[in-house]
Formats: sequence, C-alpha cells, structure tokens
Amino acid sequence: MGDRLTQLQDAVDELAQQFVACIHYVHRHHNLETLGPSDEIRVLSKDAEQEVDSHPAEVFKAAQVELAQDLITKEQQIEYLISILPGLDNSERDQERNIKELEDELKLAEAQHQQAIQEKKDIMSSLDEVIRSIRRP
Amino acid sequence: MADPNGGQEMQDLDQITSTWPRPPPFYKDFTADNLARLADLKRERAETSNPPSNPDADTNNSNRDDVLSHRLTGLPANLRNLQPPAAPDEGAWRIFGDPYRLVQPLPKLEEGGEIRPVVANGGLLADGERDDKHFDRATVLKRIAKSLLLNFLELVGILGQNAMDASEKVKDIRDLFYNFHHLINEYRPHQARESLIATMQAQLDRLRAETTAIRDSKEKVERMLEGLGSLKIDQEEVAAAASATTAAADKAGASAGRGMGELEDEMWGSLVEPAV
Repeated sequence: MGDRLTQLQDAVDELAQQFVACIHYVHRHHNLETLGPSDEIRVLSKDAEQEVDSHPAEVFKAAQVELAQDLITKEQQIEYLISILPGLDNSERDQERNIKELEDELKLAEAQHQQAIQEKKDIMSSLDEVIRSIRRP
Repeated sequence: MADPNGGQEMQDLDQITSTWPRPPPFYKDFTADNLARLADLKRERAETSNPPSNPDADTNNSNRDDVLSHRLTGLPANLRNLQPPAAPDEGAWRIFGDPYRLVQPLPKLEEGGEIRPVVANGGLLADGERDDKHFDRATVLKRIAKSLLLNFLELVGILGQNAMDASEKVKDIRDLFYNFHHLINEYRPHQARESLIATMQAQLDRLRAETTAIRDSKEKVERMLEGLGSLKIDQEEVAAAASATTAAADKAGASAGRGMGELEDEMWGSLVEPAV
C-alpha cells in the first residue's frame, strides 16, 4: 500500500492489464462462424494445440459482461483515487506559505515547550527541596 | 570436497560473490592514535590559519567549529583517509559505475519523441511557474480515464471489423496511458509537499499537547506546594506557640525533653492532618 499517487498509478496499470485480458479472452474463446456456404469448421483433434477454444454462447456472453463490469469498476476506482488526491486545491504557492507558517508555529511551540520544561524543572527542584526539608525535627 | 583445488576455487568464488563487500583497506587507519592526531592537526590548523583570515576575535570563535569540521589538505598518507572525501561540486557522482545526479528533472513527455501530450505545455503558465488552481489536474486525469475506456471500446470495435486497422487506436491508448502517468509523476512533488505539511501539522499538535500536559502537571505540583506552604505557616505558629509553652514549662521546672516530645507530636499531627 503506497501513497495515493502510487495507488493511482497501480490502478491505471491494472486497467491496462484488464484491457489486454479482455482482448485475450475474446480472442481465445469466441465462437466460430462460417462466412460462406463453401466454408466448413474444421474439427481438430483434442490433443492438438487449439487456436480458438470456443466457449458456449451463454458462458461467453456472461464472461464478456463480467469483464466489462470489471473495467467500469476499475475506472470508477481510478476516478475515486483522483478525487482524493492530497491537496488538490492547494497551489504550490499556497503550500509554500503553509509550510512557512507551520515552520514559524513549530518554532514558537518548540520555544514554549522548552520553557515549559524549564518551568517543570524549576518546580521539581523546589518540590525536591521541600521533600528534603521534611524531616522529623 | 575430494579435490582440494576445487575447494580453493569455491573459496575464491565465495569472496567474489559474498553478500557484503569487504571493507576498504584503509579501515585499519582508523586507530585511536590516528584520530587523536587528526583532531590535533585540525586544532593546530584552525589556530594557525584562522587569525590572519579573521582578525575579528568574535567571528574567530564562532568560525572555529567550521574550521574544525573543514577538510585539511596535505595530510600524511596514514591520516588522509580519516576525513571523508569532499562533496561533489557539480551535483553529479558515480556509485558502482552508475552516474547519479542531485537534480533529477522529470523528463518531458515530448522528449520521448512519439508521445503526443494531451495537455498543451504540460500545464505550465507562460512564466514557467505552475499554477495548480488554473490547471485542474483532477479533471484532466478523470477525462483521460474516461477516454481510455472509450478508446478501448473503439479498439474492440475496430478489432471486430478489421484487425489490421487497430494499430492507430493502440497508439492512442498508449499515448493516453503515458500522459496519465506523466501527469501523476508531475504531481509527486506536490504530494511530497503535502505530506510535509501533514507531518509538520502532526508534530505541531504533538508538541502543543505535550506542552499543555507539562504545564498542567506543573500547576498541580504548584498547588500542592502552595498547600504545603500554608501548612508551614501553621507549623511556625505551632512552633511559636510551642516555644511559649516550653518557656512556660521551663519556668514551671518541668523536664524540657518531655516538653519537646509533646511539641513534636503536635507538629507532626498538624502536618499530617490537613493532608488527610
């Protein structure tokens, strides 16, 4: 699971693979037709390498529908991934300004943090003093 | 291993193809003595070379660290490998025979030669600066995605009619894919900045939360100390009262030790009671 851009690129590559898979399926499993009265479909022996492995009409149709649906689904995935790309409405200048602001705020927060730590140390040392001074007189 | 020579060869092969390369020969130079000597040399060099170049005493001090981390030239051979080589000046270097560059510009789509860009001028403005507000990348990407489906449909249609005509359509689809990937890759710096912003924001939130937590606990301890402080006043009052009673007791000729013991009990009682 990479960042969104990588996911998007992977999705596009998968779409390309699906294109190839679709064409391959149709190429491999279509039915055979005669184009003229003199043509006849040759019946090859079972063990010979068959160029076309015809599927029954309804299986072929169902597979086509499924492949088409998969294509649409993938395309919708791609559109969704596009719509959630990070920072689409920020221009480069916005981003730079944003980063600068954050940098300043971070510096300020860091200073406050250090100050708080210092205060904590002070209070701890005075607490320490008090605890040390407690003794049975 | 029946053949001793074969075993030798195997060993040589192992050395050549071992997972980790052998350490460079100069690792033996990194002795404690040599390192100390290098540090001495650096200090000497800093002291001798700095004052003439920097007459100002203040800058001299502030620059000393720089000089200490600076590369020395003309070192003896056994110290030469102790300092890292200088950074490449031109932003280009070779590792294992492959050239690398510091700046890696994204190759332009047109440079591939055959690819037709979908977006004219790559979405750049006239002054060469990108303005993502006017160039709506998401819309273009969505359009390309839809065009891909449409082109595929057309491709299948053409393949059904006459497979010989399909090469043009295949080229179209290929160009669309290339364009898509190119647009995404162009967007990568944008995403990098975006993740930087997110990281900074997260860091800021964390830092602030931590600061508040520290302040809270500090205030808690402060309140507790204040409580103890008010106790102390009680204690002083008790002590004052006790001294008065002891004085009275002394006057009465009672044993001072017993009086002190009672006083202690009283003080401890006052110390513990409010806490409970």
